[in-house]
Order: sequence, then structure tokens, then C-alpha cells
Amino acid sequence: MKISIRDVGPAKIVDVDGDVDLGTSGTLRSTLFAALPETSILALNLKAIRYIDSSGIATLIEVLNDSRRLNKQFVLIGLSTAVEEVFRLTHVIRIFRIVQTEQEAVGDL
Amino acid sequence: MTGFRVSFAMASDVRYLPVVRGAVGALTAAIGWNEAECRAVVLAIDEAITNIIRHAYQGRSDGLIELECRESADGLEFTVLDNGEPPDPSRICAREAGADKPGGLGTHIIRDVMDSVSYQRTESGNRFLAAKRLRKET
Repeated sequence: MKISIRDVGPAKIVDVDGDVDLGTSGTLRSTLFAALPETSILALNLKAIRYIDSSGIATLIEVLNDSRRLNKQFVLIGLSTAVEEVFRLTHVIRIFRIVQTEQEAVGDL
Repeated sequence: MTGFRVSFAMASDVRYLPVVRGAVGALTAAIGWNEAECRAVVLAIDEAITNIIRHAYQGRSDGLIELECRESADGLEFTVLDNGEPPDPSRICAREAGADKPGGLGTHIIRDVMDSVSYQRTESGNRFLAAKRLRKET
């Protein structure tokens, strides 16, 4: 799994490429938690994620809960079919804000 | 002989999770499931192995995990063995899905995807059994 962070306007966009599983979700978690306090919008680009398991979903839930506590926006960009299936299986899709483009993710400000 | 059976013996190391996913994915595709069903079964077996690494072996990477995949008359049967701590009954009972709490998702996935799931504590450790019936594309 590869992770990189870009600043786009008021947002930080985190790009993830590869598989998110028990072996990699900790890195994703630490990256997102480090970036969250430093931005008003944290957007996670999921377009290049081929696989995500429950540890990855749990990480996203933790970040979402912390974003609410800090009054930040946490947005997911571009779920692939495979990733969307896991979101639906875990019934968490409704709790996230999911958009298709970066412009949608940062456009509200 | 008809059908297919494959067994793995692996250390409880997260590095091997992609190997398991690749093998189970290839097997589910070979017997005729569609892509979505293949992905779901791969996820469920990955979650079962992940649970063993996290809970039975508490993150240790030197435990033994044995996985057997068998083609049955109407689908696939999986057996996963480990020598770690017995499962916590509260974790076996999947939490209600949809709540914005991060725990218990893996068990929920396993129960949702597989047609039958059971756990047994044996003298040598834990045995996880799961089966998925075949619904071939027409």
C-alpha cells in the first residue's frame, strides 16, 4: 500500500494505492489521524484501493468519529465497486460523505 | 477424484494475507462464482484469518494457522485451525451492523457472506468452519 498527501485549497487529500488489510491499516490510521488536525477538510481518495477489509473500515469509522469531535469534514472520494461492496456489507456506507471527484470534496468551502 | 482441495499452513503473519486472498480468489473463480461472490468469499476468509491473528494470537506472528478449502457437492467448505487463545463469545456474536462503532465488523462480514459458520474448541486449539453454497452464473 502506498500513501501520499496533497494540499488542494483548504483540504488535504490522502491518496491510497493498494490493499488495506490488517497489515496496512495501521499506517493508514496513523496518516489520517496525523493529517486531521491540520486541515478543515480531510479527503481520502479511494479510487486506487483494490481491497479493504474490516480493519480498514474500522479505521475510517475512527477517523470519522474524531473528525466530528474536532468539527472537521472527512470525505471519501471515489469508491470502487469492490470497496463499495465492503461498505455495503458492513452497513456503514450511510454514515460517510462519499463523492466522486476532488472538486466535490473541496467545493463546499 | 472430483472437485478440488487445497491446504495451507502459514505463520500468523499479516504478510501472508494477500497470498490467502489470491488463492481463495482463484479457487472461487475457477468453480464459477461471479466476481462479486468471489470478492465476498475472499473477504470473509480473510476476516477469519485476521481474527485469528488479532485475537487468538494477539498479534503474534509466529502462531500456526492451517486453512483448508474444499469443493463440496454444492459449493465450498473452509476449515481454519489455530492453536491460540479461544475466541471471546462476545466477539463471535457479531455486533449490530450500521452503528458508527469500529468493533465487530469482521465477524459480521463472515456471518453475512457465508451460508454456515461454526466455531469449535478442540484439544489442540480452535477450529473455524464455514461453507458457501454455489450459485453459478447461467
